Amino acid sequence: MPVITVSYPDLCELLGKRVERKHLCERLAMLGIEAEAAGDELKLEVAHNRPDLLSPEGVARALRGFLGLELGMPRYKIGASGVTVEVDRRVKPIRPFIAAGVVTNVKLTDEIVASLMQVQEKLHASLCRNRRKGSIGIYDLDTIKPPMRYTTTLPDGLRFVPLDFDRELTPAQILREHPKGVEYAPIVRDWPRYPLLVDSRDTVLSLPPIINSEDTRVTSRTKRLFIDVTGQDERVVNQALTILMTGLAERGFKLQSVMIKYPDRRVQTPDLRPTRHRLSVRAANELIGLALKPSEMAKIARRMRYDVASAKGGVLTLLAPPYRSDLIHEVDLIEDIAIGYGYDKLEPTLPKVVTVGERASIERVSERARRVLTGLGFMEVMTYTLTNPRENFELMRVSGEAAEISNPVSEEYTILRTWLLPGLLGVLRANRRHELPQRVFEVGDVVVLDEKAETGARNVRHVAGAIIGEEANFTYIKAVTEAVLRELGAKWEVVAMEHPSFIPGRVAGFICDGERVGFTGEIHPEVIAGFGLEHPVAAFELILPEELYGGAKGNR
Amino acid sequence: MARQGVKKLSVREKKVLLALQDLARKADVVEVERRAGLDHSAVMRAALNLKEMGLIRISERSWQEVSPTDEGRLYASKGLPERRLLTVLSKTAPVSVDEVREHQGLQKELANLALGWSRRKGWIEFAREKGETIITLTKSGEEALKRKAPEEQLLEKLARADSLSVDELSPDLRGAVAVLKGRKLLVVREKVRRSLELTPDGEKVLEAGVELEEGVSQLSHELLVSGKWREVKFRPYDVTVPGVRIYPGKVHPQQQVIDELREILLEMGFKEIKGSLVESEFWNFDALFQPQDHPAREIHDSLSLSKPARARVPQDLLDRVTRAHERGVAGSSGWRYKFNPEISRRTIMCSQTTAATVRYLAKRPKPPVKVFCIERVYRHEKIDYKHLAEFYQCEGIVMDRGLTLRDMLGYLKQIVVKLGLPKIRFRPGMFPFTEPSVEADVYHEEMREWIEILGAGLFRPEVLRPLGIRHPVLAWGIGLTRLIAIRLGLKDIRDIFCNDLNWISRFVYPPLSTKQG
Repeated sequence: MPVITVSYPDLCELLGKRVERKHLCERLAMLGIEAEAAGDELKLEVAHNRPDLLSPEGVARALRGFLGLELGMPRYKIGASGVTVEVDRRVKPIRPFIAAGVVTNVKLTDEIVASLMQVQEKLHASLCRNRRKGSIGIYDLDTIKPPMRYTTTLPDGLRFVPLDFDRELTPAQILREHPKGVEYAPIVRDWPRYPLLVDSRDTVLSLPPIINSEDTRVTSRTKRLFIDVTGQDERVVNQALTILMTGLAERGFKLQSVMIKYPDRRVQTPDLRPTRHRLSVRAANELIGLALKPSEMAKIARRMRYDVASAKGGVLTLLAPPYRSDLIHEVDLIEDIAIGYGYDKLEPTLPKVVTVGERASIERVSERARRVLTGLGFMEVMTYTLTNPRENFELMRVSGEAAEISNPVSEEYTILRTWLLPGLLGVLRANRRHELPQRVFEVGDVVVLDEKAETGARNVRHVAGAIIGEEANFTYIKAVTEAVLRELGAKWEVVAMEHPSFIPGRVAGFICDGERVGFTGEIHPEVIAGFGLEHPVAAFELILPEELYGGAKGNR
Repeated sequence: MARQGVKKLSVREKKVLLALQDLARKADVVEVERRAGLDHSAVMRAALNLKEMGLIRISERSWQEVSPTDEGRLYASKGLPERRLLTVLSKTAPVSVDEVREHQGLQKELANLALGWSRRKGWIEFAREKGETIITLTKSGEEALKRKAPEEQLLEKLARADSLSVDELSPDLRGAVAVLKGRKLLVVREKVRRSLELTPDGEKVLEAGVELEEGVSQLSHELLVSGKWREVKFRPYDVTVPGVRIYPGKVHPQQQVIDELREILLEMGFKEIKGSLVESEFWNFDALFQPQDHPAREIHDSLSLSKPARARVPQDLLDRVTRAHERGVAGSSGWRYKFNPEISRRTIMCSQTTAATVRYLAKRPKPPVKVFCIERVYRHEKIDYKHLAEFYQCEGIVMDRGLTLRDMLGYLKQIVVKLGLPKIRFRPGMFPFTEPSVEADVYHEEMREWIEILGAGLFRPEVLRPLGIRHPVLAWGIGLTRLIAIRLGLKDIRDIFCNDLNWISRFVYPPLSTKQG
């Protein structure tokens, strides 16, 4: 989840009240924001679905309600700026939407500028999905001359000085040379023309979604801001603008709208109208487990910054502020009521839900296998199911097919194990300095490819055991294997077989109910040497049955 | 003091005392061993105890002991190579070097050795004559023929005695030790000899009388069947002597935590279900109402598969889930985007056990339902001290009429009490598939900190409605990695999968605190 850094004094100033640090963190946690204080810095972890909390202004706004300092829905006055943005029809196939606004009476400090950059960055990462769905530009309005045009340019078209650079580059050069260009090039690379925002004198504001121009940079001396959001998703574009502008309004700055002139329609942005929601008092009480009266619930709703437009017939009509884009179902409102009530005040209750506990049968079988092997002095080990073809096949002198990872993190973990013995030999390799003999076993899932399975693969529970040392011989390991089978209730048949991992003539197969269930024998010297071992190893591996043998029949 | 000690004397200690009495108060440990009929370590252990009690003194003397090597022994009987050359020369001199090398009496490899040493000792001289190197005997060579050098005397002495103390040698022979050692014909070892001597207290104990009961050490089949066990005395053991350590076969510590958790949930009436390690994105994400562009679904968060690459998804369910995502169901507005069924069919390594519980709900079980699942899940992570690519997760659901958020808290509280971590606090949480959601922290008394351990909530209607479920469902998940690390006292979470056999065999599973919150 996104983490933002805010300054404690700044947050207190936005709150209009000095709240003791520890208490503040505790209250933030109860609001669903994990807070960690380090001196005057607070690190806040904000939920994915609440982009309105990605700024100190947004956090303060929510907190003011939660602390009872200010109730109900924040209302934002907005005037018309007279600024227009004309949208060229050529942006339609590449990045069709734009929303924009103006902020005046701006008083910035370096701290606020930095905070503004942070909101922008966090919104880009979360709500805007790494600038794919939307990207934000903020400019000093006094450096540009409206009306603006949202148009396009050829990759080798208009040159301008990108942010943090001191020379003019073409868009194509920016994609190659500017760090942001390199980072976001994949979004625009396949387009024949790139989106471009210019003013009436063709001064470049930005090359969305890559970079702004240096000439329009916002500094602590900036008095008026022009903000735009362009993107693929009109809803996201509007949300991002609303969140940014209402946040700035919390600092007392004045908001003004901008007229967007699409070829076929006109839109005033931002749209700061509240949204209406129905909340059934009964549904909320039932879901949380409370018995609040409508008036009590209305009061809580106001703490969570809703207005209550009406309360009739057990239904509250709530007005939600425009920045709350996360409300898609009544349960989202109900959670807000629970938070407003206070998770710390909710008394846990334990209902009578009468059910009978039941172990998964494969776990019962696995436990039986564990009991037999620990009884025989074997130590259980647990290895990863992720492995690689060298360990799983080559070192074992076998070949085969396994489920494959398409985006492995390392060469070591590229496939899923198809059997347990390679893992056990790996464990013996890791323990080769310890005294002998060593007896190890593992009970665990392997993954086999199976076209009949819904996902094309399924887990199969295996048990495998190995002994290294002078006692590691066929007679011993066969006795161990048969002990396991016997305790699982199996009736089995032993057959001679060949297996490349074992010494020829010293490996036996086991057949239960007509199916091959495993093998046992003395490990081939080449395998032993391949794992860097210097003593004889005997080992077995069995497929565990879903239920104890004979058990299913007995129950019927 | 001494008298009190006597009663506690073991049979061995008594034997040592009696042996010293026989050996005129003072004797070498070797002699005591012979006399008492005990092995070296038994005598030494008894002697140390007796010394503690002030009954004997132990004194040590160290010296150097020389003994011949195999080569030394050979030369002792056949003579040193240079002596053998001298003998040859006394009969046939002068001869050429080649002749010496061919001579029968000297083995070829010895000839060079013999020539070298003879020359070094000044016994012979070389001269060039007709292209050959001729050897002639010197004066000291002649003299050497008459008597044996100290090295030879020492070697012969050693061959007879096998080993000698350097101190006992004459100064002449002592000088030869270094020479022979240099020729690797003998070895010198540091030896320590301990001798035991009775103290006056020890003598008093003996005067008071030490009765030696030769007890039986091991009950045997013969003693039992013959009835002789009635007549013999069983020698008492010093039962306080530390014994050998043995370790039973053990279940892996991590598995023990898993088993414990399973036991707790079974006790609470939950039924166990199993999941699939390879999942489709449909069950892992779509069915959980996680939008297809959700950050947690990005490629660097989960492990995808190239084989098998496509999963089958039940079409009717896919249609209903598509609707939930695109337009919403049960009064929801949905995510309002174009749902892509091809993404649903992609295979990934299961990243959350919720996939298993939702698969179970899709079978439309009748309420009441309480199930849980403990399974491995996977992440696209490099393994380090706080990240694993593969680890266990535990998840549970409760479905019944009229369940509430407070009931959810009740279950969480009950689980942590059973886990021995009864102090719990609740915070609002955020999971894509639950609303309201809750995070629970437990207080760890030893670490003195709150630990985030449980996430929970009520499944969203957008999750339940497509599955055909109309009752509230409580869902909770335990971060098992953290719980396991706490239970096993591990700092580095990689150690959860530690397979060091010394660790596993020695690990004693800590008991669950039964203190109630």
